[in-house]
Amino acid sequence: MHEFSIAEALAAQVLRHTPAGALVRGAEIRIGALRGIEPAALQMSWQAVTHGTAIDGCLLSVEQLPWTITCSNCGRSWSSQKPFVDCVCGDTSPTPTGTDELDLVSITVDEEDSR
Amino acid sequence: MTYETRTIRLPVPERILGANDEIAAATRQGLARRGIFAIDLIGAPGSGKTALLEATLRSLGDRRRPAVLVGDLATRRDGDRLARWCNRVVQISTGQGCHLEAGQVRDALAKLDLEGVDLLFVENVGNLICPVGFDLGQNAKVGLFSLTEGDDKAAKHPYLVAEADLILLNKIDLAPHLTFDRAGFEADVRLLNPTVPIIEVSATTGAGLDKWIAWLEAGSAEVSGTS
Repeated sequence: MHEFSIAEALAAQVLRHTPAGALVRGAEIRIGALRGIEPAALQMSWQAVTHGTAIDGCLLSVEQLPWTITCSNCGRSWSSQKPFVDCVCGDTSPTPTGTDELDLVSITVDEEDSR
Repeated sequence: MTYETRTIRLPVPERILGANDEIAAATRQGLARRGIFAIDLIGAPGSGKTALLEATLRSLGDRRRPAVLVGDLATRRDGDRLARWCNRVVQISTGQGCHLEAGQVRDALAKLDLEGVDLLFVENVGNLICPVGFDLGQNAKVGLFSLTEGDDKAAKHPYLVAEADLILLNKIDLAPHLTFDRAGFEADVRLLNPTVPIIEVSATTGAGLDKWIAWLEAGSAEVSGTS
């Protein structure tokens, strides 16, 4: 459950970036395929670590980047959620390449605007 | 004057584990200043991490001055085993934690006299998934697999394989008794990490330890600038 450590670090970051008096609606993060993060476990951890804090109820949006699959036999390249897949040309071992992003991208906040 | 609520999206690009990575970077600098080659040993429970380190420390004898940090959930057993072979061992109890983090390694290193030390082994918590994403300040990540785990373990743990600087395949002495497909295992590793060295070892019989130690010596020479 490294998702819990990640959720803890993320919650601290979101709190740090929240402007005074703003209500945080959401946090948007991006995760590379290599990381092997389980979205359900991350959401569960997120709810647990934010519960009772100033960002309780903040919606976590996760963009999971796919694997890039490259076939050395026919030269095709495509995106896939799974690393080990067959190519349509019949090759059974195209190369999976993933990235290891684990980034906070943005936060969505409600701000009171005085006019 | 009226009040209106507006919803805005604020870009805050930042690595989520940035705080961990900063501590790790400081540790890496400190170790480099001392010429210490540090490895993060990652493997499943029962893959033989402690047994491999025992055999390694025994083989190194007086040729090297190693230090060991060993992460474990609750017990001191691994630390006690390793302390028979090395007098610079710190046990890190992680409680419920499934992996080591950079702060724990920094704090454990502070308990050691590193004068003259040239090798640092960090035995991570037995786990093939969680430890991989947490930089500890090591020079190299070593992924330890073993024949008894089955030959699909590399394919099932792509992050470790892709990030590893060395793959060790332990318990090679058991090959005659198991159906482990070594060629298939190696092919999976190669798909994820085409250039990583793979060394077959047996912590029990000592087979392959010379190659593993030669790899350590090469890394150590690079760090200490004596290559």
